[in-house]
Parts: sequence; structure tokens; C-alpha cells
Amino acid sequence: MTTHSLSAGALHADRIAKSFGGLKVFHDVSFTVPAGGLLGVIGPNGAGKTTMINIFSGRLGLTSGQVMLGGTRIDGRSTFEIAMMGLVRSFQHTAIFNGHSVETNLLSALRFSRRDRSVLERLSPLLDQFGLIDNWQRNAEVMPYGLQKMLGLTMALATQPNMLLLDEPAAGLEKSERANIDTYVKFAREEFGCGILLVEHDMEIIKRLCPSVIVLDGGRLIAEGPPTDVLSQPHVINAYLGGSDEEDSDVTH
Amino acid sequence: MNNRVPKSLPAEIRPSLFSGHDWIALAIVCLTFVIPFTSTNPQVLSQTNLILIAATAALGVYIMQRLDLMSFAVPSFMAIGGYTVALLSMKLQLTDVFVLAAAAFLMPALCAIPLGALILRLKGVYFVLVTFVLTEIVQLLLFEAGPITGGSNGLVGMPAVKIFGMELWDNPHVLLTTCGLAFVSFIVTSVFTRWFRSEFAAIETNDVLAESLGLAAWKYKAMAFSVAAGVSGLAGFALVNMLLTAHPSSFAPMSSVNYITYTIVGGKASILGTLIGALLLVSATDYFALSGEMSPGLFGLLIIVVTMVARGGVVGVVSGLLYRLAGQSPPLKNGEQDLGVNGEKGQ
Ligand SMILES: Nc1ncnc2c1ncn2[C@@H]1O[C@H](COP(=O)(O)OP(=O)(O)O)[C@@H](O)[C@H]1O
Ligand SMILES: [Mg+2]
Repeated sequence: MTTHSLSAGALHADRIAKSFGGLKVFHDVSFTVPAGGLLGVIGPNGAGKTTMINIFSGRLGLTSGQVMLGGTRIDGRSTFEIAMMGLVRSFQHTAIFNGHSVETNLLSALRFSRRDRSVLERLSPLLDQFGLIDNWQRNAEVMPYGLQKMLGLTMALATQPNMLLLDEPAAGLEKSERANIDTYVKFAREEFGCGILLVEHDMEIIKRLCPSVIVLDGGRLIAEGPPTDVLSQPHVINAYLGGSDEEDSDVTH
Repeated sequence: MNNRVPKSLPAEIRPSLFSGHDWIALAIVCLTFVIPFTSTNPQVLSQTNLILIAATAALGVYIMQRLDLMSFAVPSFMAIGGYTVALLSMKLQLTDVFVLAAAAFLMPALCAIPLGALILRLKGVYFVLVTFVLTEIVQLLLFEAGPITGGSNGLVGMPAVKIFGMELWDNPHVLLTTCGLAFVSFIVTSVFTRWFRSEFAAIETNDVLAESLGLAAWKYKAMAFSVAAGVSGLAGFALVNMLLTAHPSSFAPMSSVNYITYTIVGGKASILGTLIGALLLVSATDYFALSGEMSPGLFGLLIIVVTMVARGGVVGVVSGLLYRLAGQSPPLKNGEQDLGVNGEKGQ
């Protein structure tokens, strides 16, 4: 059951807007991630990328507009309800169950999403490549940052989502570890038929993986299209030059 | 990729439901059944009674600690359980111990559902504050609702409870009732907290992550609050049964500090800690003849000391020593061995 008709699993943001009190984060943003598709999201720090993922995953409410997953409106629903509908997110900073082993972390992901161990068997090539099998019984909290991050991503995938929202998966990874993100994204799409919304600062990853990206800046969606086209547009370059320290500051941000 | 042989998943080791500590705690509570049949010493009987009631009440704190919530609500639910029993036996002549125990559990457990809906959104110090206010309100209601609760006189002159039609009226029999209630509470608490241990541990360590993976955290919080209330209600039954009186002073808001102290000093990681904490501190209170007004202050001090020097409490320190003697590293939170860096896990 990994294939879905286009309309069934698509994630569609329809003129969404979000403000925190007087602070308008973004407004009038619309886009679609087709079922099984992959859409990149770029934009300087503070553009509202994480806020958008928080909204889609039910942690925050919308100010206006609506979010549809397939034929169902999901904005305003609770996080676990949205997760059970197949839309699952990862976190910009490591998010794991501290003090527990890699195994317990993964088994918890299976248990909470009501999946069985066969999902782990399917994930075992990934688990092996990321070095998680070598650390199977280790306290996840004391593992290197990169391993913790890959564990968090793998836990999201272990829920067998139809749509994954990845919040800067490569942030904080060593350059040598970044190929893991490529592997992960390809695996999720090919083996699980997952649609993916990929928020990422690493333009190399965006160019390698994403057929299409959107650019968020100054509260608006300022460009949309294939990465090479979009990244050569003057106003996109400006947006990035305005905050050119992103690439390195994302580790601490 | 190079020609490295791919590793396959290690086989699953299913952890058993109960840990060693659970078994020890259950065995100790089980052993207390011997006392009413072998001892007639009133001092021994009353001390055992007090310890078991204290431990049972503290289980209400222990359950909420699984969710990283510090509950001061135990005396309120004890009061609901205790007064329910007093009213049923005095007004309706219901004295069967099984009927009364069921009522003492269910009444507070049901009351906890709407209350939980209101306050389980809160975390940390806000939860502490609101549960403390709750016990103050319940205390006030006990005094003010005179026609039902007997006001400041309480409900005096309860008939003895019966088991299979037999009256449990003398001291050993009263202790036997307490032993039974404590045993049921320990079984319920250990099965409940261990059965859902993954859920509770996940909510305790990272509730945002747990929900994003599909866990309906509120359901588990509501269940925990309700079961904690029910178990507290059984402690209330035992207390009222021992005194043959339901009186507001038995459910003083400050007594919640005692129950919290038992769990922390004993060690909040396991149910055994709650039992050992109650055993040590109730005995110490008796030995040093501490007055009721002094103990909250001293207990507060004790909490600070334990939190600073030995977070695992008595049970944590002792089992840490035993592991060291055996040359092993202590298990991770869910009972697996930590084969990697043997990091100290301050919670
Ligand atoms: N819960 C919140 N309350 C108030 N302001 C917030 C909240 N979350 C994010 N913001 C603000 O919204 C803006 C967008 O933040 P964020 O979504 O984290 O940006 P990005 O992920 O693109 O770097 C920032 O100015 C941030 O300070
Ligand atoms: Mg962000």
C-alpha cells in the first residue's frame, strides 16, 4: 500500500497566513506537494519555514487560509491525529527520547504509530548505513549529533507516513554525513512512496534532490520552480545576500 | 557502496512486564499479610498500618511522576475515597469490603476525569500550584458541606467492614483490610505503569516528539490522573477504616508534601522507592516523635538534600552500589544495558 492517487495524498496549502500577535510571519502562501512528490523550501532564517511545518503538523493554528491533505482539511487538528493520517514531521534540532536506547526509540515510533516490526526490517538497510545498528543498544542521548539526527529522521519514517515534512535535516551534520540525507530522501520516496516537503539551507542538497523549490522571504512566497532557475533569479539572490550568514549559523539557530 | 556485508537487525529482546524492583516491592507488600496473623503488639500493628497507608497514598504521586508531573492532589482524592466509604457504610449500611473498595477507587477516579480535562494541560510548577489549590478547595468543602460530610466533626461511628459477611473489627483485622487495599493498589499501579511504560516514558522525556509520531498524549495523561486518583481513594478508605472516622484533618493539604517526600527519598524511578521511602520516613517520624506541624518543613529539607546529592533516592543509591559491586553498568531507563558510553543520566 505505498502508492496513492495524486489527489488522495497531496498536501495543499491554500493562501495560508500566520501572525504571532503583531508579528506577521507570512501571508498569502499557496503551494502543493503532490502525493509521492518532493518540494524544496528555502528562505533565510526567520522566514517562517519552521512555523509552516508546525502549522501543517498541528502544533500551531493558522491565522487564515487552509491546509488540505488529500481531500481532508487538516489545519486546526491535533498533532497525533494528523500523524495518524500519514503526515509526519522531523525536527530542526535533534528530537529523540533521551536516556533510551536506539532500539527503544525506534520501537516507540512503531508503537505510537501502530506499526509492527516488519517496518524496521524494511528500514534495516538505512539503519545499517547510518550506523544505527552498530549503536543499537546505546543510550541515544550520548551519541554524536549526526547519529541522533539520523535516528530522529528514521523514527519519522518508521511511522510509514504518506507525507514527510523535513525541517533542515542536514543542519548540524558534517559535510561527510550529508550524503545520508540524499539516501534517506531517495529511500523514503522509492521504498515508501512518501511525499516530502524538504526545508533545507544546503543548496547543494536542494539542487541534487528537488525537482522544484519555493522561496519564502519577507513573509511571502517570492519564487517557485526548478532550483537552478530559481537560484539564478536576482531577487532570490538578494534575499540570500541579505542574510548571507545562514549557511553556517543554522547549526546554532 | 563498497562490499561490506550489510548488518541485519539484532533480534528483539522483549523486556518482561515487571522489573526486579517491582517484584521486590510486591513481595514486601505481600509479606505484610503475615503480620495481622502473627502479631498482637498494638505498636507493630499500628506502625504497619500507617506505613502501608502512606505507601499506598504515595502511589498517587508515583503514577503522576511517570509523566513528569508533581501532584499535590493526593489528599483530595483520598478524601473523596474515604468519605465515600464512610457515607456508604453509615447512611446505606453497605459494609462489604469489596463493594466499598470498588466505590473508594471508582468515585475519585471518575471525579478525576473532568478535573484532568481542566488541569492536565498544565506542566511543571503550574500543575503543582493547581493541584495544591485543589486540595485546599476539597478541604474547605469538607468543612462547609456539613449536612453530607459532618463538617468539622467529620463522620464518626462507622460500622466495621465485612468480608464474606464476617466483621473485620479488631486491630489485626483492620490491618488485614489495609494490607489487602495496599496489595491491590501496588498491583494496579505496577501493571498500569509498566504496561504503558513506553508511552509514559515518551511523554515524560519529549511529549512533542511523541505526539508527532502519533501518540495521543492526553489520553495517557487522563488515564494516569484517573488511576492515581483511584489508588489514592483506596488509601483514603484504609485511613478512614483505621480511624473509624472520616475527618477533614486526615486529608490536610500539607500531607501531600509527605507523600511526595516518600517517593523522592525512596527513589522515584521505581515503585519500590515509594514503598521504601514510606517505610523509612514513617518509621523515622515515629522514632523521633516528630510532630505533625514540623514534618513538612523537615521533609522539604530532605527533598532538597536528596535532589542535590542522590537523585535516585535510597533505592537508586543502593542498586547503584550493587551494580558496582557486581562490576556491571546500571540499566537504561527501560531496562536495557547501556553498552556504549556509560553516561550519568541526571534526569
Ligand atoms: N511561537 C512563536 N511565538 C512568537 N513568534 C514566533 C514563534 N515561533 C516563531 N516565531 C517567529 O516567527 C518567525 C519565523 O520563525 P521560524 O519559523 O522559526 O523561521 P525559520 O524556520 O524560517 O528560520 C521568527 O521571527 C520567529 O521569531
Ligand atoms: Mg527553522
